[in-house]
Amino acid sequence: MEFKLEAHRIVSISLGKIYNSRVQRGGIKLHKNLLVSLVLRSARQVYLSDPCPGLYLAGPTGIPTVPPPQQPGEPVAGPPSGWGEPPPPSARAAWPEPEPQPQRPSVCHTPGTGSSEPVAAVAGAGDALPGREADSAAAAWGRVERPRAMASGGGPDTCPEGPRAVRRPCGCPPAREEQPAEDGSPAPPAPCPRKRGAAGVGGGRAGCPAPGSTPLKKPRRNSEEQPSTGEEDTDTDEEMETGNVANLISIFGSSFSGLLRKSPAGGREEEEAEESGPEAAEPGQICCDKPVLRDMSPWSTAIVAF
Amino acid sequence: MAGAGGGGCPAGGNDFQWCFSQVKGAIDEDVAEADIISTVEFNYSGDLLATGDKGGRVVIFQREQENKGRTHSRGEYNVYSTFQSHEPEFDYLKSLEIEEKINKIRWLPQQNAAHFLLSTNDKTIKLWKISERDKRAEGYNLKDEDGRLRDPFRITALRVPILKPMDLMVEASPRRIFANAHTYHINSISVNSDHETYLSADDLRINLWHLEITDRSFNIVDIKPANMEELTEVITAAEFHPHQCNVLVYSSSKGTIRLCDMRSSALCDRHAKFFEEPEDPSSRSFFSEIISSISDVKFSHSGRYMMTRDYLSVKVWDLNMEGRPVETHQVHEYLRSKLCSLYENDCIFDKFECCWNGSDSAIMTGSYNNFFRMFDRNTRRDVTLEASRENSKPRACLKPRKVCTGGKRKKDEISVDSLDFNKKILHTAWHPMESIIAVAATNNLYIFQDKIN
Repeated sequence: MEFKLEAHRIVSISLGKIYNSRVQRGGIKLHKNLLVSLVLRSARQVYLSDPCPGLYLAGPTGIPTVPPPQQPGEPVAGPPSGWGEPPPPSARAAWPEPEPQPQRPSVCHTPGTGSSEPVAAVAGAGDALPGREADSAAAAWGRVERPRAMASGGGPDTCPEGPRAVRRPCGCPPAREEQPAEDGSPAPPAPCPRKRGAAGVGGGRAGCPAPGSTPLKKPRRNSEEQPSTGEEDTDTDEEMETGNVANLISIFGSSFSGLLRKSPAGGREEEEAEESGPEAAEPGQICCDKPVLRDMSPWSTAIVAF
Repeated sequence: MAGAGGGGCPAGGNDFQWCFSQVKGAIDEDVAEADIISTVEFNYSGDLLATGDKGGRVVIFQREQENKGRTHSRGEYNVYSTFQSHEPEFDYLKSLEIEEKINKIRWLPQQNAAHFLLSTNDKTIKLWKISERDKRAEGYNLKDEDGRLRDPFRITALRVPILKPMDLMVEASPRRIFANAHTYHINSISVNSDHETYLSADDLRINLWHLEITDRSFNIVDIKPANMEELTEVITAAEFHPHQCNVLVYSSSKGTIRLCDMRSSALCDRHAKFFEEPEDPSSRSFFSEIISSISDVKFSHSGRYMMTRDYLSVKVWDLNMEGRPVETHQVHEYLRSKLCSLYENDCIFDKFECCWNGSDSAIMTGSYNNFFRMFDRNTRRDVTLEASRENSKPRACLKPRKVCTGGKRKKDEISVDSLDFNKKILHTAWHPMESIIAVAATNNLYIFQDKIN
């Protein structure tokens, strides 16, 4: 429990640093960011491996901490209620197909689509989190949020800004606008709030891919998540933050390191097969590892951009 | 190593009585960021002491000749030359500002009356010539004393100009500019023992330059992975061997040091020696990787040893033994339990430097609260001293300081929680031959000498 708290805190701090590094004078310091990403990865591993279900930073209402990158087309099981809890089986089963190769542009689109719940959560989180943390988390949120039910329109207004901001660094086409159309529900705005906050460089970049996967899942997700929407709305920002952070961890955590890397192609196939199995055991873990690989691109984009 | 090298340099640390000599810099509490000293370096003779700051300026101090008849005090260092080495630049392609902060200064061995040094910021290295002018030519034929040209028709006789003394003027002029060779931030420069070449290292590459040639440099180490996503370590410091012109070492963020021999191949990606100490699994934490990152590597004057500084310790390595260091000195082990806070306030990323004394019998490095530490390799004793204005009376001896790690705090001890982490000593330098040290404390430069003369 304590480890989880500490890990969570460290992740938040790390994300803030990554975001701030973007605006620091002299350009991004490769060495420092590498070290921060290593800490992020360690914290993430601890966070995900701590099987304590009681302490959900994600909040009580079973707000699913977003599972790692949602693959397009599959409604993400959504963050299981709190970390460490297996997501609802039905949700899980929808493990999306492997996302197309890190297509940042396409990813960018996603933010808008697909997240009903996340929207609310995002909005909450975005406001709650300090600017920088939110920013860095934006990318992750884009993805993660999606699975959540159409949240009580967290902030349609905010959304566009968020994703847009996020996407700009990536050069993604403004998917924002598309979201509402796709969703047809308040969801589109949902992811935005979070993203918006996190639209820092690091976050922005990372976020791009994330959104991509979301849109596809959204439709299914909405139906599943609806019930929790209301709850989410009332969730504290704190919870949202956790969920986002969790996703961010998954996104950032595996960057800069080949250790977690598995062959993307192989990973994908396995991922779906393993969904139902390991999920119960360590939903977070499974969710994060493989999908994360695909989502490494956002961060690597940042690195490559040096 | 005891007694080797350096005339008249006794063993280090505790046998000395370090006394305050001078302090340079403003006393003002409000420190301008540009005034923060970012590098300190003695030249080969120790007569010149150069500092670089975040504002891109270089200030050179020169030691006064000891002709005053005061046998117990050595010459003082006074400002010799000040110049703006680097200016802020902007990389339009990447929309990045390039800081003017001087990362490193390295002196060239003196070959004539002028002094040469290399100074570098994140992207550009410059070779500066510092020369004195104390004579002025008078009696020109074509121009008068004001400098105005004379009308040639009015010149009826010729005279030979004569040299007249003038007030000493020290001029600094950039003789070479070595630019556009580094994609990442330069962290080290090192002059080769051949006095013709030098290396510059950034996060992922090391380049070899010739001092005379600015439009070309050779890449000798490249650790950039094909896929940046697989990046796991960066280069943190590099140095040439003091005597073997083909040998260089570079340290990494993973706590390893690689020694390369340039004779083996043009691209020294494969190391000749690999120094790494196995990690102690019991001390693993979130921040293990950060604190194992090496911030500085320095060869001993003899060339047989090298010293590395990571966040909590300094280690001395024998070049002939790669498996582990021969000495490990804890600088501020009491910080190990505070790593999370230090991570939060970014202190854990501070890059401390270290230095040898002239005879390689003692090593010195900085810490927080304006403390700096000295380790005597012979007596195995260490001492913590403080650079502060309170201890700045002329020739006042420095009292050893102690940090209380828990329990009852004794008188004169300071508790870990009272340490001022904004007062950090990252840069120190030791006179190559005598017992004089220069310690940079934010914007102030302290010079200490030992009482035993």
